[in-house]
Amino acid sequence: MVELRNVTKKFGNFHAIRGVDLNVRAGEFLTLLGPSGCGKTTLLRMISGFDAPTEGSVWLGGEDVTHLPPYRRNVNQVFQSYALFPHLTVEENIGFGLRMQKLPRLEIAGRVQSAIALVSLQGLEARKPGQLSGGQRQRVALARALICQPKVLLLDEPLSALDAKLRHQMQGELKRLQKMLGITFVFVTHDQEEALTMSDRIAVVNQGRIEQLGDSAAIYHAPQTAFVANFIGRANILEANAVGVEGGFIRLRIASGVEVLVPNPNPSPTTSRLVVSIRPEKIHLQSQRPTQENVFEAVVEEELFKGPTHQLEIKTASGLSLSVMAASQSIMQTAFHKGDRVWCAVHPNDIVILRAD
Amino acid sequence: MKTTRHTFLLTLAIAVLALPAMAAPKKKVLNLFCWSEYVPDSVIKGFTKETGIKVNVENYASNEEMLSKLLVAGSKYDLIQPSEYTIEALAKANKLETLDLSRIPNFKNIGAPFKSLPHDPDNKFSVPWMTGSVGIVINTRKVKDEIKGYADVFSGKYKNRIVVLDDNREMVSWALATLGLGVNDITSENLAKVKPILQGWIPQIKVYNSDSPKTPLANGDVDLGIVWSGEAAILIKEHGEKFKYVLPENAHMFIDSLAIPKGAPNADAAHQFIDYILRPEVSKIISENFPYTNPNMEARKLLPEAQLKNTASYPAGDPKLDTFKDIGKVTKEIDKLVTDLKNK
Amino acid sequence: MQTPLALLQPAHGAARRPGFIGWLLIAPLIAWLVAFVVIPALILLVYSFCQRDELGELVFSFSLENYWRVFGYVHDESGAFAWDPTYLQIFGRSLGCAGLTTILCVLIGYPVAWTLGRAPDSRRNLLLTLVMIPFWTSFLIRTYAWIIILSENGLLNGLLQYSRLISEPFPMLYTPGAVIVGLVYSYLPFMILPIYGSVEKLDNSIVEAALDLGAGPLQAFLNVILPLTRPGVLAGILLVFIPAMGMFAISDLMGGKRVPLIGNVIQDQFSGQARDWPFGSALGMSVVVLFSIAFWLGTRRQPES
Repeated sequence: MVELRNVTKKFGNFHAIRGVDLNVRAGEFLTLLGPSGCGKTTLLRMISGFDAPTEGSVWLGGEDVTHLPPYRRNVNQVFQSYALFPHLTVEENIGFGLRMQKLPRLEIAGRVQSAIALVSLQGLEARKPGQLSGGQRQRVALARALICQPKVLLLDEPLSALDAKLRHQMQGELKRLQKMLGITFVFVTHDQEEALTMSDRIAVVNQGRIEQLGDSAAIYHAPQTAFVANFIGRANILEANAVGVEGGFIRLRIASGVEVLVPNPNPSPTTSRLVVSIRPEKIHLQSQRPTQENVFEAVVEEELFKGPTHQLEIKTASGLSLSVMAASQSIMQTAFHKGDRVWCAVHPNDIVILRAD
Repeated sequence: MKTTRHTFLLTLAIAVLALPAMAAPKKKVLNLFCWSEYVPDSVIKGFTKETGIKVNVENYASNEEMLSKLLVAGSKYDLIQPSEYTIEALAKANKLETLDLSRIPNFKNIGAPFKSLPHDPDNKFSVPWMTGSVGIVINTRKVKDEIKGYADVFSGKYKNRIVVLDDNREMVSWALATLGLGVNDITSENLAKVKPILQGWIPQIKVYNSDSPKTPLANGDVDLGIVWSGEAAILIKEHGEKFKYVLPENAHMFIDSLAIPKGAPNADAAHQFIDYILRPEVSKIISENFPYTNPNMEARKLLPEAQLKNTASYPAGDPKLDTFKDIGKVTKEIDKLVTDLKNK
Repeated sequence: MQTPLALLQPAHGAARRPGFIGWLLIAPLIAWLVAFVVIPALILLVYSFCQRDELGELVFSFSLENYWRVFGYVHDESGAFAWDPTYLQIFGRSLGCAGLTTILCVLIGYPVAWTLGRAPDSRRNLLLTLVMIPFWTSFLIRTYAWIIILSENGLLNGLLQYSRLISEPFPMLYTPGAVIVGLVYSYLPFMILPIYGSVEKLDNSIVEAALDLGAGPLQAFLNVILPLTRPGVLAGILLVFIPAMGMFAISDLMGGKRVPLIGNVIQDQFSGQARDWPFGSALGMSVVVLFSIAFWLGTRRQPES
């Protein structure tokens, strides 16, 4: 549906985007996730037409739109600040796009009514944006964009101005609308949890490049780079030496006394020095030495109680520090405290070999 | 300019107020209210240097503006520079101090033709400063026909090539002249006769300018002008043969004079100033700066030949010209007539 | 919609009665207004009912004569009223002249203000300074500069003749066009600055939203940008129209004083030949009253936002 082909964008000497290829499938909810300044908004603005790529091309539904102005592209955007027209009422704001298409008044009125119903704004038709709450403005912005029946809806951090509770509610509503209308959504956010909850696929953007593109689970469980592993959730990023191959596994020495097996990826790594990522919650702690592979011993150095979880910092005899996250104390689970000696176990599939950069 | 002067006056006032303890003699001043570009700075400086009297100068651009400030706004001046008809009106209304000619010995330098004129028959109120005529200045490069009088200017051939003084009474007097009437024959009947003439003239005029009618002539925006003789003299002085000055039949002259308004706080200083500018060598400086007709016969002797030959300043044969008399209420009628015609 | 006055007032929420300190702070303003606006206006009002004597001195009386004259009723010789719309015509012509000046100022000033308001911060101050530089020289000097440019032996004609676009000098100075050029030149900054204020406040994403929703540049301008910058445009119109209406120096110097405008007529009454202060006061008061009515009508109709 949307395709960026080898797109580069420079602002003066600054490379905002460096050779990005991206293909957004029809009907999917794709999130551009990354820290501020990474280029995700620039990507969005090149799709909407507010910025033109320095190199490469933008395609929309099989058509090259690289040089079309925004008002000739069948995409609509929900702006971060909503950008409602302060001098127009809710009704006039929502009907703006249709008026620009010079549709008959009756048709506009009908479609505005259904759009208002769609986002549950009945009764507020005659208000001006200044008289609305943040959530209501958000809905107006959404209805105003959706009423044009765009091929793609672009959303630029649309929830960042809302408080946490409203944000969760709107996340659900957005997802529901997207499923119901079957419109392609390209969603920009810096909030990894929001991205994981809502997206079909996530493109993690860093320094003008897409670091990894995949569905939520793949992004989380199999990060390809240290940046992705760190940016989404927490991770222990560790340097390791490959010391041998055992069947379908590689034996890695992370530190003295800490040797683990990981599945040998295809293709196999070309060097023996590798970087791996282990999520804190994938390190299981036990008081007795477990019988399985990939176990090592450590001492609890710090403990932090975080409500549903319990975060521990542990250290092995050889000095390797690791973060571990366990579910809070329960009957099923032994709680460990500072100074306790523990045995750690990690499943080979939970250790991810990262792409070297 | 005004602000600087006010600030200066204020500073002076504070200084004066702070001084009495030292019993310093009060500094003498003269408040001079004169035409802009008519009194050379060097003359004022020379006077102050010699007498120690400080001169505060304020300027105006027309007799009427001067009257407004003097009469309606009630400002205090020691010396004013009115033209003859204004002197007559002010004298009639008892607004002028009588001059003490015994304190103005240099009055003898004024030529006989400029003394005892109708507006001040006994020389009681005024001393002539400069005189001049109103006449026609011609750009000889552009105008080849012979221009003798006002009717030639407004023949229709020079539509939109004419500058005239922005002065309603002047315009009426020119029209009267073409009718063979005197410049002071202003009655309602005569104004009715003048009206159709002016009606024909006004659409031909490109610029009205009393302050500097030489400017559009020098810039080539117009080719003919009915202007003060001094303006014409400057054009001739600067551009030579290119410009010519013609004194039409029934032309009139004006006599700009010095007079002391009633109740002037420093009448003594005013007398001193009048006598000072009547000295031949001082009067010569004025003539050099502003080439009008100098009524000071002793000063004329000091002027260079070239200036005396400038026909705008010193027309051949020293023709005897009329002067404007005060016409009182009729001013309003003239004003109405010309405003109406311009508005059409 | 905001009225232009709203620009000068605090936001609605802040519109409380001032306390003692508040009064103390605005006291200089009130004193200034009383000394330089209220008292002179009252003096004019009193004068406007007076008469002048032969010499031009004020005669205190109470007469509506001056106002009758302004609005076209004059006594003819027999003492009966006669219709003479001279001053109404002059007033109408002045309105037209000021109106044309205002329209041209909007047409030229808006794009300039837009460019200024959208320029990057680094360049904006420079551009603003350029707009204001003309104010650093005296108004008369700037007007004389125009005379030097426009006269037949002047710079522009010289340039056109040198480049052989024209063979004979083209009369530009002392024409109605020259007056309009002078007026537009003098008042343009008063149009640019308030519009710039509005443009600068306009959130760029609102403009982008309009483009995004399918509005072409013209549609976005008419439907979004213009309504949102209207307070600036209205303030600019007031700042240009009213002084342009009273201006006399430009029509004197650049127009050759050929066609009287209301400013010339009023000036003529005070320091010019006519020297009729009472009538000048009546003309001035009439202009003030007409403006007040127009202003009231213009702002009254706008509903509160």
